[in-house]
Amino acid sequence: MSRFIATRAIRGANRIVQEAEDLLEKALAEHGPDTKVTFPNTAYYLPVILGLTGREVATLGDLKPALAQAGSLLHPVPRDQLWTPYLGEALDGGVATLLAEEAIMGIKYALGEQPERLDGYPDLVTAGGEGYCNGPIDDVQLRAWGIQLVDGRMPGFAAIVGAAKSNEVAVKIVRELQMRNILVFLCGNVNGRSIIHQLLEEGVELGYDTYIIPFGTDTISAIYPLGFATRSALTFGGMKGGQAREILLYNKFRVFAFVLALGEVDDLKYATAAGAISYGFPVIADTVIPEILPTGITQYEHVISMPFDDIEGQDDLERAERLVQKCIEVRGVKVKIAEIPIPVPYGSAFEGERVRKDDMRIEFGGKKARALEYLLMRDPDELEDGKIELVGPDFDEVEEGGAMDVGIVVEVGGRKMQKDFEPVLERQIHYFLNAAFGVQHIGQRDIAWIRISKMAADKGFRLKHFGEILYARFKGEPWNSIVDKAQVTLITDPEEMKKWLEAAREAYNERNVRVAGLTDDAVEEFYSCTLCQSFAPTHVCVISPERLGLCGAYNWLDCKAANQINPTGPNQPISKGECLDPEVGRWSGPEEFVYQHSNQSVEHVTMYSIMTDPMTACGCFECMVLVIPEANGVMIVSREDPSMTPAGLTFSTMAGIFGGGLQTPGAMGVGKYYLTSPKFISADGGFKRVVWMSSFLKETMPEEFKAVAEREGVPDLIDRIADERSVTTVEELLPWLEEHDHPALKMPPML
Amino acid sequence: MALTGLDIYKLLPKTNCKECGYPTCLAFAMKLAAKQAELAACPYVTEEAKAQLAAAAVPPIRLVTIGRGERKVEVGNETVLFRHDKSFFHPPGLMVRVTDTQPIDVIEKRAREVADYSVEYVGLELRFDGLAVENASGEASAFASAVERVRETGLPLILISSDPGAMEAALAKSDGTSPLIYAADEENWEAMSELAKRHQAPLAVLASGLEPLVELVEKVRGAGVEDLVLDPGCRGFDDCLVTFTHIRRLALQKNFRPLGFPLIAFPGEGANSPEEEAILAGQHIAKYAGFVVMEDFDPALAYPLLTLRQNIYTDPREPIQVTPGIYEFGKPASDSPLLITTNFSITYFSVANEVEGSGIPSWLLVADSEGLSVLTGWAAGKFDADKIAKTVKSTGIEERVSHRKLTIPGAVAVLSGELEDELPGWEISVGPREAVDLPAYLKIWKP
Amino acid sequence: MAEKVEIPVQKWSGRVREVTLGATKEEGGTRTRSVTVGGEATLPFLHFEGELPHPPRIAIEIQDKKPEEWSPLLLKAWEEVIDDPAAWAKKAEERGADLILLRLSLDDAQGEENTPEKAKSTVRRVLAATGLPLLIFGPGQVDKDNELLVAVAEEAAGERVVLGVCEEKNYRTIVAAALAHGHLVDSRTPMDVNLAKQLIILIHDMGLPLDRILMDPSTGALGYGIEYGYSVMERLRLAALHGDTMTQQPILVTPGEEAWRAKEAKVEEGIPEAWGDWEERAIMWETMTATALIEAGADVMVMRHPESVRLVKEAIDKLWVKEG
Repeated sequence: MSRFIATRAIRGANRIVQEAEDLLEKALAEHGPDTKVTFPNTAYYLPVILGLTGREVATLGDLKPALAQAGSLLHPVPRDQLWTPYLGEALDGGVATLLAEEAIMGIKYALGEQPERLDGYPDLVTAGGEGYCNGPIDDVQLRAWGIQLVDGRMPGFAAIVGAAKSNEVAVKIVRELQMRNILVFLCGNVNGRSIIHQLLEEGVELGYDTYIIPFGTDTISAIYPLGFATRSALTFGGMKGGQAREILLYNKFRVFAFVLALGEVDDLKYATAAGAISYGFPVIADTVIPEILPTGITQYEHVISMPFDDIEGQDDLERAERLVQKCIEVRGVKVKIAEIPIPVPYGSAFEGERVRKDDMRIEFGGKKARALEYLLMRDPDELEDGKIELVGPDFDEVEEGGAMDVGIVVEVGGRKMQKDFEPVLERQIHYFLNAAFGVQHIGQRDIAWIRISKMAADKGFRLKHFGEILYARFKGEPWNSIVDKAQVTLITDPEEMKKWLEAAREAYNERNVRVAGLTDDAVEEFYSCTLCQSFAPTHVCVISPERLGLCGAYNWLDCKAANQINPTGPNQPISKGECLDPEVGRWSGPEEFVYQHSNQSVEHVTMYSIMTDPMTACGCFECMVLVIPEANGVMIVSREDPSMTPAGLTFSTMAGIFGGGLQTPGAMGVGKYYLTSPKFISADGGFKRVVWMSSFLKETMPEEFKAVAEREGVPDLIDRIADERSVTTVEELLPWLEEHDHPALKMPPML
Repeated sequence: MALTGLDIYKLLPKTNCKECGYPTCLAFAMKLAAKQAELAACPYVTEEAKAQLAAAAVPPIRLVTIGRGERKVEVGNETVLFRHDKSFFHPPGLMVRVTDTQPIDVIEKRAREVADYSVEYVGLELRFDGLAVENASGEASAFASAVERVRETGLPLILISSDPGAMEAALAKSDGTSPLIYAADEENWEAMSELAKRHQAPLAVLASGLEPLVELVEKVRGAGVEDLVLDPGCRGFDDCLVTFTHIRRLALQKNFRPLGFPLIAFPGEGANSPEEEAILAGQHIAKYAGFVVMEDFDPALAYPLLTLRQNIYTDPREPIQVTPGIYEFGKPASDSPLLITTNFSITYFSVANEVEGSGIPSWLLVADSEGLSVLTGWAAGKFDADKIAKTVKSTGIEERVSHRKLTIPGAVAVLSGELEDELPGWEISVGPREAVDLPAYLKIWKP
Repeated sequence: MAEKVEIPVQKWSGRVREVTLGATKEEGGTRTRSVTVGGEATLPFLHFEGELPHPPRIAIEIQDKKPEEWSPLLLKAWEEVIDDPAAWAKKAEERGADLILLRLSLDDAQGEENTPEKAKSTVRRVLAATGLPLLIFGPGQVDKDNELLVAVAEEAAGERVVLGVCEEKNYRTIVAAALAHGHLVDSRTPMDVNLAKQLIILIHDMGLPLDRILMDPSTGALGYGIEYGYSVMERLRLAALHGDTMTQQPILVTPGEEAWRAKEAKVEEGIPEAWGDWEERAIMWETMTATALIEAGADVMVMRHPESVRLVKEAIDKLWVKEG
């Protein structure tokens, strides 16, 4: 914590506590200790004092010990030469400030001096009365808004303290917040001028109906928003008065609020801000103040300084917009896009629709042009959320039915975003674009192929709409749990296209290398997939970097991202724990996890063996691997292959015998990319054990298998593996293998 | 500990002779391990291997058969406590009791009623299994003639008498039908065991309480009778649930041989009304009875009971399927909406319920997805464009609707393009993802 | 000598949470009694093995207006009270309900849109008419559910009402309303163990204590998929007893709604003779659906016909005999 801020906050705290004590003494002398102290229409006494100290203040007399407690939290102002960690002391001061401020408001209510009357503003009508500021939000409204804050319809609230640079800026800031459904609480002033004055002068309607609440033109009235936050915790968090820690944590994790300090910050504002920070609410100031960046008390940064005139932007209005954006980002408020602004219908019903050549306005990619899709992670600060840019001409100049190049570059950032999620997110582009009526999307990366129908083009669909779709979808559920900011660039300019194509290819390459380098030994966690338990209750997929899910749909990175997106979903991290047997791939973590999640029916599981405790099979497996004892090896049958196999069982018969969550030594369902993994039944001899394999696999993955054969040191291995075209019985298999000198014949016996 | 397929394979001759009906010994071994084949099918297995395999293969609960021919009832051979652990295999025999004190025509009428009763459920014929004849008169001749009459139905029988003499007379009239002799008790077990052996009929053993029952079972087995059915003497809701659970657990978890036999229950004796009897019978179906002997027979109670039995004994690993084809709701005309879905029963029921509830006459095509739901079927290639197109072409629906507009489930929207290729001239529209949204969809549907 | 038979007694490491529905005056509400369910430390009715503190309970479902789409048999059974939810609730209490489930409709009896004010007034009247704890379910449309349930949650503040139904696609507002006014929620998922668990976690994550959540894994009716619901419930209960904390919620199921949707219960004409007497069969359809589910672990059953309720209660009484 900055010594500067600490000093000023502590100084402010000392002063306000003193002020409260003086006021209380005077009131006690004039009105006596039994004078009632209440906030109207609420049942939480003085809520901050109740929440943080457990004291139920009902009379002036009750305030005395409360203030004494505030006093006990005060520390001396740090001297210049002293170097201590100030954070705790400043935060204590903040809490003391809040207690004192609430005591002052309590006294003022007892004396009839609250809510604040604002002369000269006849349009001001609030729950506090005509011409009055609001005072505390009543309980009915607390519940109504509280429900929306808890269920997520309202993202959070903003407490604005001070006055904006101009009336125009004040209105813009409030409108930006309103647009996002964020509650706006107003208080404080700078040299006597408050944002409340500014808004009233501009004719902005204030009150419960507009979600803009004027609490008062002094800093002390900032206590009301914090009282609101405290009561939220008591009402919705089920906390009791005095559970200070729980209440503060509740606010930190569940109440998405922030303080926006407009204009000069004085000691009392610093002290009050320190109180807000204890609630986990960050403070963003539009003036130069020292920042407190390392996170801890708040979820993210504590104090951010964005001097208004230094904000990038064409004019003050744009600067105001950026300022609000920054606030939202700092607090991690998620804002959803309700409707995608494109001129054609959008929905999964259009996913499978085709755009035929005759109906086509234009295509990108395919035979005549190139289409590129590239999603990359950026530092959020480098991104302008929602920016959609077209670099180069749109397709209007291209003749009907023609083709052109396009590059779709999506840049995303977020606190939970990881480089590893890039390919996972990038693959979504296919689904996102396909769901637009009149758009057909095939492929991925630099072999994407997109068509737009004449009908869609006639309705005004243009390239930037790709951007609108991608932005809205990546900022929508569930992806918004990892994407905080996104921007999309559509590139048709040949030079730019070339540049991006190179960058993307380099990135694809890096990703391939990364995936290849991801080994089971290099990670601490595997992931589970229990998606299939609805029909195979004892099946648990254990997914590691070198062994993807047996359905082929989920690899380790997918699971990692899926877990980040949906922490309670079917993909849970499994800590590897102790390695019990590196050969067969047995770890204590997966053993325990599988036992617990298989209804306690599968006691042991290995990752690399078909003979010893192999993984269970659900029914979705892409391939079935089965031992052929006669040939001292295994066969691999793909789902696409309906023919009879040397084992005397077809794929569907095997699915019936081995599926449903059973563990069968000698048989294993796998995803086809596991076949190429160095860990493929490595405990039993690896890929050299494969004596028979459906031709479908050989034909669809020739390069991959070639590489495996090289790796195994038998370059022509694939040619020595039989398939259904030459062998369908075990009797035919043996001579065939001998003829082709299959290495498995010379390996140690499997059984 | 059950043997794995590989363990079994090691014990087989490994000659791939194919005489068992499987092309390889491994395939046969895997089938054996999955309990989808019988060891007896292998002519060359060694005695030593047979002994090892048999020890592992002896079912913890003995399979007992009563009756002969088509309508025989097999019960027992269960391997799990909960159906989700694998499956319940042999549905309990539902029997109806008549007594030899009833007038002969009443007996005959009841017997016919039971024999002829059959109700259709998802394409299956559900029926009661047999009759129990009770020697209430105490007279051997009355018992024998009652048995003689009901025998004509061809249904499996349970003969109820504690008098070995009467039993012998009744057995004489039911020779060759393998009835269940009910029951050997502390008094008559020696004579009843003799009868059971002589007539090769299974024997029920009745004793109150587990220890007396075990004691008696041991005696009867000692006398050489192995096909037993147990009656531990309980009759009510709570005692039957608890006692039957004990016996099932002892048999399966402790491999306790003396109790490894099917159980028989008499819900009518623990109930105050026919409804209560049916409810208790329902409990016996779910919780471990092998035979359920009912006092009452009433279609309004029989149908729900048979349905419950069918449901509980459905193999959870194999979804119930409905017959693929065209289904009509309301009286659909040639311009009524046409929908398609899969033949997984739950999928079909949810769609059918909503379409029927909408009140809009409609055609529903049910494709043979081999019992998979829409998404699973799609993922497994059992409900793809090809399958849908084949269903449209093979069912003859093209002659019955004048329009060419097919609605596919929203979950497989992705198939629409491919389907239009497969079904030239058809317009494919994408329906809602959830069945509950169908009525709203059908309301705005236009040919 | 006979072998000594040792009765196997399973040691379970977990048990189901207790959940209390309704609040009496002392507990901050106005109910004449509250009803606690759950707490099981063994499988249904196996008293010898572990503690079973509370029997299964039956909620009778009533609606805020005459449910025209219901089977004529049900309309007949509640004939005199069916136009008046307050009278209906009272009658349901007389006919043996342990709990009342009030379902709110989209439209009122005059065909006009139901509103928060109307719903509040209905709830007020039902609360006044019966002393039983209440469950209140919305019409099943996201926006309307949220609008009405938020309002009635406020109206019934302090009564520990069960608000429903929370589904994965819409639970946040209902949970928030429960948080605000001290109520409980029904967490419904489509017949799947993991989904059931997941929604419990999500609801709990919002801050609602676990002793205010009922788990509703859904079921099919007899003949319409009951075996799925049955097995999912058995698996959930076993998981709970094995110590899986997020499955240790009492189970609510709706056999009434499911069974009375079946043709076997609903329809009089055009059905096979083998189905037997309509009324008898219809009542048995609901009854057998319910009793099967009790054996699988149901704690709260929502039912519709008074005669089925009587039969199921009788069965529960007979099963609820503690040994020794």
